[in-house]
This record gives sequence, structure tokens and C-alpha cells, in this order.
Amino acid sequence: MVTADTCIHCKLPIPRGDLVVDEIDGKELHFCCYGCQGVYRIINGAGLGKFYQQRDWHQEGVPDGVFGTAFDDDLLAGHVVTRNETSAEIALIIEGIRCASCVWLLEKLIDKVQGVETVRVNYGTHRAQIRFNPKETTPKEIFTNISRLGYLPHPYTSGAAQRAAVKEQRSLLIRFGTAAFLSMQVMGFSFALYGGYFHGIDPSIRVTIQYFAAAVATPVVFYSGWPFFAGAWRSIRNKAPSMDLLITLGVTTAYSYSIYSMLAGGEVYFDTAAMIITLILLGRLFEGSARNRSISGIDKLLRLAPESANLMAGEHIQVVASTSLKPGDLILVRPGERIPVDGLIHGGKTELDEATISGEPMPVLKQQGDTVLAGTLNLSSSIQLRVERVAAESFIARMALMVEEAQNRKAPIQSLADKVATLFVPFVTLTAAGTWLFWFLNDVQSNAALLNAVSVLIVACPCALGLATPTAVLVASGNAATRGILFRGGDILEMTARIGTIAFDKTGTLTLGKPTVEKIIPAPGQSEESLLRIASQVENGSSHPIARGIVARAKVAGIHIGTTNSVETVPGRGLRMVGSEGEILVGSLAFLEECNIEIPFVESGSLTEVYVSLAGHWIGTLLIVDPLREEADSAVGQLQQSGLRTVLLTGDRLAAAQEVSSKLAISDFHTNLNPADKTEWIRSHQEAGEKIMMVGDGINDAPALSLADVGCAMAGGTDIALETSDLVLTRANLGRVYEAVYIARKTLVVIKQNLFWAFAYNLITIPLAASGNLAPVWAALTMASSSVIVVGNSLRLGRVIRRTFSVAKARASN
Amino acid sequence: MLKSIIILIILSLCIGTGAWLFFIWAVKRGDFDDIEGPKYRMLDDEDDQGSQGEKHEE
Repeated sequence: MVTADTCIHCKLPIPRGDLVVDEIDGKELHFCCYGCQGVYRIINGAGLGKFYQQRDWHQEGVPDGVFGTAFDDDLLAGHVVTRNETSAEIALIIEGIRCASCVWLLEKLIDKVQGVETVRVNYGTHRAQIRFNPKETTPKEIFTNISRLGYLPHPYTSGAAQRAAVKEQRSLLIRFGTAAFLSMQVMGFSFALYGGYFHGIDPSIRVTIQYFAAAVATPVVFYSGWPFFAGAWRSIRNKAPSMDLLITLGVTTAYSYSIYSMLAGGEVYFDTAAMIITLILLGRLFEGSARNRSISGIDKLLRLAPESANLMAGEHIQVVASTSLKPGDLILVRPGERIPVDGLIHGGKTELDEATISGEPMPVLKQQGDTVLAGTLNLSSSIQLRVERVAAESFIARMALMVEEAQNRKAPIQSLADKVATLFVPFVTLTAAGTWLFWFLNDVQSNAALLNAVSVLIVACPCALGLATPTAVLVASGNAATRGILFRGGDILEMTARIGTIAFDKTGTLTLGKPTVEKIIPAPGQSEESLLRIASQVENGSSHPIARGIVARAKVAGIHIGTTNSVETVPGRGLRMVGSEGEILVGSLAFLEECNIEIPFVESGSLTEVYVSLAGHWIGTLLIVDPLREEADSAVGQLQQSGLRTVLLTGDRLAAAQEVSSKLAISDFHTNLNPADKTEWIRSHQEAGEKIMMVGDGINDAPALSLADVGCAMAGGTDIALETSDLVLTRANLGRVYEAVYIARKTLVVIKQNLFWAFAYNLITIPLAASGNLAPVWAALTMASSSVIVVGNSLRLGRVIRRTFSVAKARASN
Repeated sequence: MLKSIIILIILSLCIGTGAWLFFIWAVKRGDFDDIEGPKYRMLDDEDDQGSQGEKHEE
């Protein structure tokens, strides 16, 4: 802790003679230099003085143990991978990472722990990989250091599925890199050959270059193109023609014809084969990288329930693994800890944060005999629990199962291109066969039958067709990403365009999820300011959401919140503090009335009331509301205008839902829903043929988000919601939901146009090829131009998106 | 003429293969696993130079 001769800001010892003394807010403070003094004044002046208390977490009012969860080396040992005697590794998921600075802070501080060799924190997945020397430090020490910063580390062993996904992505990247490198070589050779075609070339040089081209193109086709071959084989086995089959068909004919032609002294098309594979792999690569994160959602959910529990055996308290608890065991849960298993309260009463179940931020009072569920957070005081179910059957485990089931049940989205391929593949093969038959019957002498049939297959090759979707998806997702909209893959983009119904969660999605002071009603003779000052003095330091709302309001009003004395929390009732002016009570009506304080009637409507008394007299009431997002009204309006049905699915009470739905003109709302009810609602409507998008933010929405055709989560929501969703809005702005739908619809239009152009090209060239009238170079030229049209059209989409939203922005700012 | 073309082509393939092997090495090392973080990491200043304020106390 800070002693007299360390700098209050940087906490370094103050060198003799360098002491800078300053008086800020009536306190004498010591600094080591004027720099630190200046920074302190800036931080304090910005109303962020609380930083200095928070960095040590010694302020009263914050429940003990929130950031001091005990970790146990024996339990962590199972997660350590020993490399050799002086080197071991542990992987963890760190809860609470919000931005890049968190990653920075964690890396720096973990690195400073004695014995830690390397640390890498992944910004995208919130996972950390730490290599340490087991002789110098223990996992427990690392965990304690992380938790002291205010982050919650969980040991994490990656599942086989995830390791497979990473491996898959890496192998795709290598395949693409190889294809790109070799295709460049092939293109170089092809340019020489094209030049030779028009201006003449020595036959021996031509053949040499052709051999080189063949040598370089072969690995592209058979190594890089392997996923397509595998896909084609699958589609033959399932008797469902797919894009893969079409690509394989085109590539193999182009390749084998070129080999034949090379030996016979004709023109080669190795560049066509190589370029198709390279470009389509690029599209796959892009789609794959967005999808990778979704698998870990279930894993994070399970980590919500702590791995260890405090078992009460007579007088002793023993730390045991949660999985070893049996029904009937008695356990102790301290404030700041999550409940490890479902149980009944045996002794004590406390407030629980049940956001995991209901999504509501307001704590719920629980006392003896009440059921508490695993994963909920104990806020105010220690309780004893009688275990009801084993860990594997706890609420959290059931939720994880629901998410998993929902993800499995969700049918894969068939992309438009695949649907097209279903029709196109039989058409092309039949035409080729017909061509061969026709020429075989009419011209038995020459080999025209085979040649013409092959050229049908080559010109039908899906260069433009294969590019139609990936390029549009690439441009759309890129532009969407700069606007903070992340689509997890092209199929999601297509699905978003086909959505007919949007279901919203209420708290945290349509509303801010942060209670704020709506109205201040001071008692006669009191000023609003003094009421707010007294209330915030008591609430300062409490982690209760209402308390935070009150303190935030006081800070906005520029009120200086004095020092906080010892605050007593009365669970479910309110707070009590003895200040310099007398006893202050802040809490519910019942709480103050119990303390014999007379309170006149206050008109509050559907708002939450917080009463304040000073020295036995009522001095005013604060009305608290969870406000709607500023843009909620216009965003919902825009969505309704674009023909979408809007629905409200909430775990909240009827009155609160009515209020929101009437303000936003959402006529269809369903209240008191638990996670299972939400998925049930979605399932029943999906069975009726509706395409549903679910917008939510909480852990309780996770199963619904996974089941919905498109699950959409906003930044600021829980990690679990983000990971189980298909569409992520990195800015918490509902207007982006409309933008996402708009971009998706525009993209689908462009994909359709692209497919049309690709077909138009085929429509012209296939008859020419079938009739034997298509010179190879013209085939190559038209093929290239159709690809250029498709790519250009996709790029145009980017301009349309940018223009639409920059105009909308300009209008909004005027 | 033919000979020099062959030599040049083989030379260019060798150089390209070098770049390709470098790429494979980078992928295997996991350099492409997190493509989001490094752009922020660039902005972090190293504290090796002994800047104050970051040192945390035990």
C-alpha cells in the first residue's frame, strides 16, 4: 500500500529532495515530480479520481472477494502443460477484456510476475497463453495477479473441435498461399504463350514454357484444389450437386484438356484452372476466419460456474471441486463469488445478480428457503447453500446443453450459388454429352466430337459463377465491418437479407441496461443538488446498478462526492451510513418506513423509487428508469418500414414491457420468458416458415441467439451472447441492425446480378462451343471479361453502401 | 536462347520458393492466428525504457 514517502500517482518512492506537495480537495498529497502532480490533477479534474481507489480495491462498499477469488493450485494443476523441468504452459480465458488496452495491461503485468516467460493475450478470443517456470512461480500466483487487476481468469483447455478449427484455418491459408504463389508463375508463363499466339513463337520455346506451366499448375490443382475435390465427392455421394462439383468439373477438364493439348501441340489453359482455384480459395479463406470464434461459446458458458466450492464439513471449510458436490452437501458462497451449483439457501440472506437467467440487471433478494441457480452472482453477503443438484445437471450446464442443441438443430444455410449449381451441373453435363453425341454421329472421322464436348465443359467453367458470391460477400462484409457490423460468413449475409421477423430482447438491447436517474424530487426546503450529493455519498462504491446510476448522475451534475464512511448494506432494502450530518438511509419505501421515517406519497408511475433520509427525516426521492436507447425509436421504425415484423421477447414483467412496446410501437410482445421460452417461441415460428433474427445481449439470450436464423448481439453485451451469435454489432447502436439488413439485402441483389452475368456469358458461349465455332482465345477473352464484370459489379456494391450511409450521416448531422 | 530462358525461369522459381517457404514458416508459427490484436499492439510503447507509473507493487 501507499506509504507517506511514495508518490500518490505512480507509487514510486520519492527521492530525497524531490518531494512535491500539493493540496487537492483539502487533502495534502505527495508526488515525486511535477509530471505526476499534473497527471493527478488531470485525472481528478476529469472526475476520474475514483481510479486511485479502484486500482487497489481497498475502498469500502465493494463486496469483499469480488476481485480476490481464491485460486487453488491443485485444481489448476490439471490445466498445466509441462514442457520440461523449467518450463510449463497454461491456457486461460480472461473474463472482462473490453478493449485493446485491457490486452496491453494484462500482457505487461503478467509478464512482470517473477518466473513468467512469455504471455500472449488474444484480443479476438480473450484467451491467454502463458509460459512460465514452475520452479519460480505457480499458476495460482499468476491467477491471483490477474484477478487483482479486476479481471477474472478461468483455466481453459481447448476442445478438440477448436483445435481442429484452428488447424483447418491454417491449412486453408497454406493452400491459398501456395495457390497464389504458383498462380502468379502460371500467369507469367501464360502471358508469354498469349504473346506467342498473336506474334508467333518458336515451337520449342512454346513447348518448354508449356511444360513449366504444367509443372507449376499441377500442385495448384491437386494440392490447393483438394478441398474442392473432397466437396465434389461428398456432393456426388449425397446426390446433391454443389458449387464444389461445378468447380471441380471445370478445373479438371481445363487441366486434363491442357495436358492432352500440350502433348498434341495445341493451346493450353493451365492459367484458367489455377486462377479459379486461387480466387475461390480466397473467398473461402475470408469467410472462414469470421466463423472461427463461434465454437467457444458453450465453453465460456460452462466456465460461468466456478470450478471450486467451499464445502462446509462441521466447523471446517474445505475447498473442493464443484463437480464433487453431492445433493445435500452444505456449501458457503461469499459475496463476489458465483454460485457453483443449484441449491437452496440454508442460512443468511443476500442479493443475487441473476442477469444470467432473466437478463435483468437489478439484483434479486434471496433468503432462507429460496432456490438459487448456478452461475448467478452473490452480491452482498455470505450465504450457506444446501446443494440440490450435481454440477453436471446445474442450470448453467442445462443452458450450455440448450445452446449446443440449438446450434446442432440449425439447418446449414444453402447459399444461392449452391442452389444455382444444383440446376446448372446437370444442364452442363447433359449439354456436353449431347454435343459429343451429335458430333460423333455426324462426323465420325475427326476427333471433333471430343474436342467440342471438352470446350463446352471449359467455357461452362464457373470462373465468374464462382466469383459471383465471394466477391460480393467480401466487399459487403468489408464495408459493413468499417461500420461496426460483423457478419460471420457469407451465408449469414444471405440469410439476413431473407429475414422476415426481428425479435428483440428488452433490457440491454432496446434499453441501455443501465438504470439512470430520471427525476429528482427533493423534499420541501431541500435542493436537488444536496439530495443528490447525500445519496451519492452513500451509494459511492456500491456495485449495485442503481447505485452506479445515482453516482453517475451526481458526477454529471458536477457534484463533488465526499469521502465515504463505512456503509452498511441491508440486502434487498437499501444502504445505511452515519455521516457528519447524521444517519443517512437510502433505499426502498419499506426500508425507510421500517426505520420510522414519515414519507409523503410520491407519484412515480412505473419507475423505480429510491428514498433518501437524513437524520430521521425524508429529504427526497429519486426516480430511476432503465432508459430506452436514444436511437431505438427510429431504428425500430426503419425496420418496420422495410417490411419486417418486430417482436419483443423479454424476461421482464408485463408493465415494463408494455411501456417499452408502446413507446416503440411494437405491438407484439411476450413477457416473463426464461431462456427456454425464448427458444420455444423462435422454434414454433420457424416451423411456421418464418425467418427470424434475434437481437439480444445477455447470457439468457444465448440459446435463442444460436437457434434463430440470424442471431445478432451488440458490443457491451456478454461475451457468451457475442460468441453464440452470427451477426455482431461492434457499436452498441440499434441503427446498425437496420444497416445490417440494408447491406445484406443490397448484397443479395448484387449476387443475383452477378449470377445473371455469369449465366449470360454461358448462354452465349455454350452454343458456340457446342457448334464448334469458338476459337480458344475468344473463349479466354470472354471468360475474362465476364469475370471483370462480376468483380466490378461487386466493387460497385461497396460504393453504394458507402454513399447511402455517408448521405444518411450527413443528413442526420444537419 | 532456349537455355537462357530455362535458367531464368528456374532462377525465378527458386526465389519464389524461398518466399513461399517463409510464408509456410510464418503460418506454422501461428503468426496469422490473431490478425486483430497486432494492429493495436503496435501502439503500445515498450516500458523497457523505464517509463514511470507502470511499475506495480507487490
